[in-house]
Amino acid sequence: MSWLRGVCSRTGIGAVAAVAGLAFVAVGLTSCGGGSSSTSGTQGGDLNFDETSYPDYLDPQLSYTVDGWEAEYNTYIPLLTFKHAAGSAGTEVVPGLAKDLPTISTDGKTYTFQLQQGLKYSDGTPVKASDFQSTVQRMFDVDSGGSPFYTGIVGAADYQSGKASSISGIKTDDSTGKITIQLTKPDGQFEDELAIPFTALVPPDTPAKDQTPNPPPSTGPYMISKSDPGHQFVLERNPEWAKTNEKLVPDVPTPHADKITETVVKNLSSQTTQVEQNSADFMIDPPPTDRIPEVESKYPDRFRKETTVSTYYFWMNVTTPPFDDLKVRQAVNYAIDPAALQRVYGSLLSPTQQVLPPNMPGYSKFELYPHDINKAKQLLQQANPSDKDITVWTDDEEPNDRAGAYLQDVLKQLGFNAKLKIVNGATYFTTLGDLKTPNLDIGFSDWFQDFPHPNDFFGILLNGAAIHPTNNNNFSQFDDKALNKEMDTLAQQQLNSSTEAGYAAVDKKVMEQAPWAPYGNREVTTFTSDRINFDGVIFSPVMQQDFGSFSVK
Amino acid sequence: MATDPWAPPYADPTLPGEVEQDTGIPPAPAGVPVEGRSPWYLAYRRLRRNRVALFFGALFIVIVLFCLAAPLWAHLVAHTGPDTNHLTEKIDINGQPTDVVNVDGIPIGPGLHGKFLLGADANGRDVMVRLMYGGRTSIFIGVMAAFVTTILAVIFGILAAYYRGWTDAVISRAMDVIWAFPVLLLGIALGTALSVSGSGLVLGPIHIADDSIWIPILIIGFVYVPYMARPIRGEVLALREKEFVEAAIAQGAGTMRIMFSEILPNLVSTIIVFFTLNIANNMLLESALSFLGAGVRPPHSSWGSMVSDGYEFLYSAPHLTIIPGLMIVLTVLSLNVFGDGLRDALDPRAKVRLEAAALEESH
Repeated sequence: MSWLRGVCSRTGIGAVAAVAGLAFVAVGLTSCGGGSSSTSGTQGGDLNFDETSYPDYLDPQLSYTVDGWEAEYNTYIPLLTFKHAAGSAGTEVVPGLAKDLPTISTDGKTYTFQLQQGLKYSDGTPVKASDFQSTVQRMFDVDSGGSPFYTGIVGAADYQSGKASSISGIKTDDSTGKITIQLTKPDGQFEDELAIPFTALVPPDTPAKDQTPNPPPSTGPYMISKSDPGHQFVLERNPEWAKTNEKLVPDVPTPHADKITETVVKNLSSQTTQVEQNSADFMIDPPPTDRIPEVESKYPDRFRKETTVSTYYFWMNVTTPPFDDLKVRQAVNYAIDPAALQRVYGSLLSPTQQVLPPNMPGYSKFELYPHDINKAKQLLQQANPSDKDITVWTDDEEPNDRAGAYLQDVLKQLGFNAKLKIVNGATYFTTLGDLKTPNLDIGFSDWFQDFPHPNDFFGILLNGAAIHPTNNNNFSQFDDKALNKEMDTLAQQQLNSSTEAGYAAVDKKVMEQAPWAPYGNREVTTFTSDRINFDGVIFSPVMQQDFGSFSVK
Repeated sequence: MATDPWAPPYADPTLPGEVEQDTGIPPAPAGVPVEGRSPWYLAYRRLRRNRVALFFGALFIVIVLFCLAAPLWAHLVAHTGPDTNHLTEKIDINGQPTDVVNVDGIPIGPGLHGKFLLGADANGRDVMVRLMYGGRTSIFIGVMAAFVTTILAVIFGILAAYYRGWTDAVISRAMDVIWAFPVLLLGIALGTALSVSGSGLVLGPIHIADDSIWIPILIIGFVYVPYMARPIRGEVLALREKEFVEAAIAQGAGTMRIMFSEILPNLVSTIIVFFTLNIANNMLLESALSFLGAGVRPPHSSWGSMVSDGYEFLYSAPHLTIIPGLMIVLTVLSLNVFGDGLRDALDPRAKVRLEAAALEESH
């Protein structure tokens, strides 16, 4: 069973790493096809999906896993959203409940939106501009894993700590639908942050506690009509969508299926058999590694692999010997063979040697360290580190444990006395994130994007400012003053071709310093039953499987 | 049996209560002085006649030797260690270079192709080499846990039965509490608490790391204590009423001396039998716990953890599960059959008692 931690990143921010670590939800997904509008494919039909575990939450302010976001993508719509398209087109931020993209003040600190007038929740309640403020406040009230994204709003920190009764930086006018957001400093990622589901509007009277068993009314084309946590949830058409919302939210296409029932089936092999035999229409998680060759050869017309926007890598602690020596870190990079790790991940990994993954703005392919064990040994001989006793860290989730065993073997070949330390997946990232943990030398980690912005990688994983005594995510403790400055400057600017080029340069400069040995971008799969119009299924690079794109033939 | 010269018609008629028992010694002709023979010699004679038990005893020794030979095989034949990855290597099969692990991550199976006699695992490690090293872990855990069980069970069994009264009440009720838990459930609970949680075990000044194999050894040793302590207590209850104990008391021997010098030697045959059978049980429990992730923690490997790792590839590489599984079956079977034979040889009457105890347990 290969479990991908589902996750839209163990986010950079504190507590979330633990949450995401726990929710090793598999990501499963699909992809592709380009058309995003509802005009192609048959309308109607009831679909049955299999999942291995229930989403972490079915509450837009709380869910922080791919499983949850997939269910919410066509259900809970934020002011902005990601275009319903595959490939890099799917990374584009488009208006959701807002009329247009926001107007941004010249200092980059004020965002002004116009809420579409006439929108209704699925229970018939009208949507008001002030619901945005209550929604953001609800997110802080429930102590969401996503709240760190929004502490840059003026007054948000005071609200979070209980010093203020509302967030002063958000101004709304219900009569005109105008929403103004004031930031403490410019934030080039803010549009992305408003397009992920944490700030998807819910009615102001929604209780400030987890609503998973009874999900709040929705604004999107679907509503969650039943949620039986741990067992099954059902998406059905939102009656208000066709009446009013559909015309007002043109960038969210009307889905094809009338009803989607997603059921927990613990055994991946059973799921695979069900889809093969058409008793389930789709499995969220990839089939077990063991059965992929069989599925791939028998059902080429309804199975494909999808690359997620993620990077799997080995971090090296640059603050202590032996990895404080650049030559040693470069030697490890030369010694790691991404082709070997591809086999460890049962071909659900495409090899890479850089920080940014494909489909991430700023990605520009390069390979500084083509696999060459002799060169690695030579470099190590030059460096001749005195400390050769090192600990290799990984978690116990298959096949990350085997990736760790591979790394240990490679390090032994280089002459290190490497000890493998395998930590339970639920506590792995909190253990690594605690700088007091002894022997943090080298180990496995991965990162899935929260949203398509390169700072979601650099700012959290490689910026010196991101080193924290606990809940740290900069596992290499990489702190290069010049690069920090470059990252900070880029982060304050809106993304455009010149900032993207800037990020590409940062990517290369980081890899020249080699704090990481990146090895792959994780792949998931789309495997559907015979009755699904396979080519129409869209795999969004941000939200992954677009449930609205599934149609029966 | 018809050709057996020592068949029952020749049994010693002077031992009417044990006619059905076979001493293995021909009766001495009338009038000839009987040569004294120690009970150990008699047991040896009885055991020697149990061909099935001897065969399985020998099989166990072969398995142990096989595992001990791991470094030899690794260096001289396989030329690889148990943890060495061969993910991107190719080997020659019938003149065709073949991937040890193909691009889909599926390893090659067993075959007469030199290095990978029993195939490779998903990291391209030689299964034969891992099997030999893994067996060392499994057998080591089985034997060491049996020592733990035996030492604790003997101490508590003797104390409870000798002192009786409140000492017995406390020890026996504590044993009953452990007994009340299904062994596997208790093992998983302890394994999760001590090992998987990452906390390890702290016993006063002794700290055992969470990935140490001493954790499963102590857990397995602990959960089986009542299963051994209870019959020992029963036996001591009977022994303490015997004349030789009274004689020792009359001679002024202290309680420690009576317990450990007078009573304990009379328990040895029971202990040996239990010890042997206990190793088999321990290995089974170790495999089950490791399979469930609560036993041997990686990077150590045991047959149980090999089955667990291989299970991921049950469709495409069944050898990863079947081979270590077969080794567990063979080892446990050999210990059980040999243990039964040993019991019959050492203490023919014990069989009746043990069956009665098993019957009681099943109720």
